[in-house]
Amino acid sequence: MWSADSVYAMIFISGLLGGFGHCIGMCGPLVATCSVRMTGRRLGPQVLYNLGRITTYSVLGGVMGLTGSFAGVVKSIERFQNITLALVGALMVLMGLSTVSSMSFFRRADDRSKTKRVQQGDSACLSRVTSRITNVVIETKSVGAFFPAGLVLGFIPCGLLYTALIAAAGAGATSANRAEGFLQGFLLLFLFGIGTAPALLLLGGIVSRKSGWLRARLYRASAIMMLLVGVLYIYRAMRY
Amino acid sequence: MTNAARTRRYAHASHETFALVVLLFFVSAVCPEMVAGAADQQVKADCEISKGPCTKKIGPLEVTLDIRPKPVSVMKENSFMVRIMPVPHPLPEKITIDLGMPGMFMGNNVVMLRKQAPGSYSGTGIIPRCPSGRRLWKVTVNVPEGGKVEYFFDVVR
Repeated sequence: MWSADSVYAMIFISGLLGGFGHCIGMCGPLVATCSVRMTGRRLGPQVLYNLGRITTYSVLGGVMGLTGSFAGVVKSIERFQNITLALVGALMVLMGLSTVSSMSFFRRADDRSKTKRVQQGDSACLSRVTSRITNVVIETKSVGAFFPAGLVLGFIPCGLLYTALIAAAGAGATSANRAEGFLQGFLLLFLFGIGTAPALLLLGGIVSRKSGWLRARLYRASAIMMLLVGVLYIYRAMRY
Repeated sequence: MTNAARTRRYAHASHETFALVVLLFFVSAVCPEMVAGAADQQVKADCEISKGPCTKKIGPLEVTLDIRPKPVSVMKENSFMVRIMPVPHPLPEKITIDLGMPGMFMGNNVVMLRKQAPGSYSGTGIIPRCPSGRRLWKVTVNVPEGGKVEYFFDVVR
């Protein structure tokens, strides 16, 4: 019914449309809240994050094409996907908490409570552990950290991605041999990932390029958003 | 008004517009259930596919959709069956159906159904799971030279 070329074009367009019509809604807050924090580092982290995400998609597509079975592969990675979603949610909550605690109002309140705790002999170790985790995992200064972040976040469950993976499994099921199935699935998901990138790059670029007073306010707002999105991700991971 | 004042006013308006756009992104992103809920109120299930086949009319044709196994669930291979009565002429060898979600773009999920008997078509496809928790799905049957027939139904997780 469709030639191989038209399937590739269709999945690229599907990714492109889905990037604006789906990804911005579902993954936009993750990208936007992280981008608000990128002072001085603009395109590099965004591109690396997207490359990591596209790499994961491509490999998953290859595996779908190799096996020709969507349901079977998804069943075996479903638990890992949910754990990834819960971990991302937990990290976002930590990141939000870390920013909230650095705001002047909360810092003053925290200083008062710290003084009280010190007086009471409390070492406030939980607060220190939290800030250490956020420093190491989240507030990393290395641009290279964004590629592995993209690799991991590529596993987040997504309805649009599932549709692309179904297409890859379908291509694999009708391919002449397993190697061809792998390559077809890999290429399909690679094109799908490339298609989704412009929307997220645009969103991240716009947010990270804004500077001055608005950026400062967005940074504060992002802390609250991170908390909300983090809780939402954990809720979704637990629900499935 | 001086040029400097005009520039400041434009810059301020640009910041406000940008802030509004970002806020809208955030609201639609953090509360997809809320946005989807609003969409759900506009489009409701009109077919209890988990209980039995659904029939709709398009012009002189009666188009019946059935999905098995029941209850219809996500992330599993489902058999989609379409029967078109009276049997159309010329009789196509295959027809297509689109699987989609009202109010949310979920990619092009097209299932090809092959002719099993005059006017009867079947094929297998998968309805993906939406992590937002929405369960309302739509099947659009592309009737050759007859148009499109849409069926809205709930799936189980």
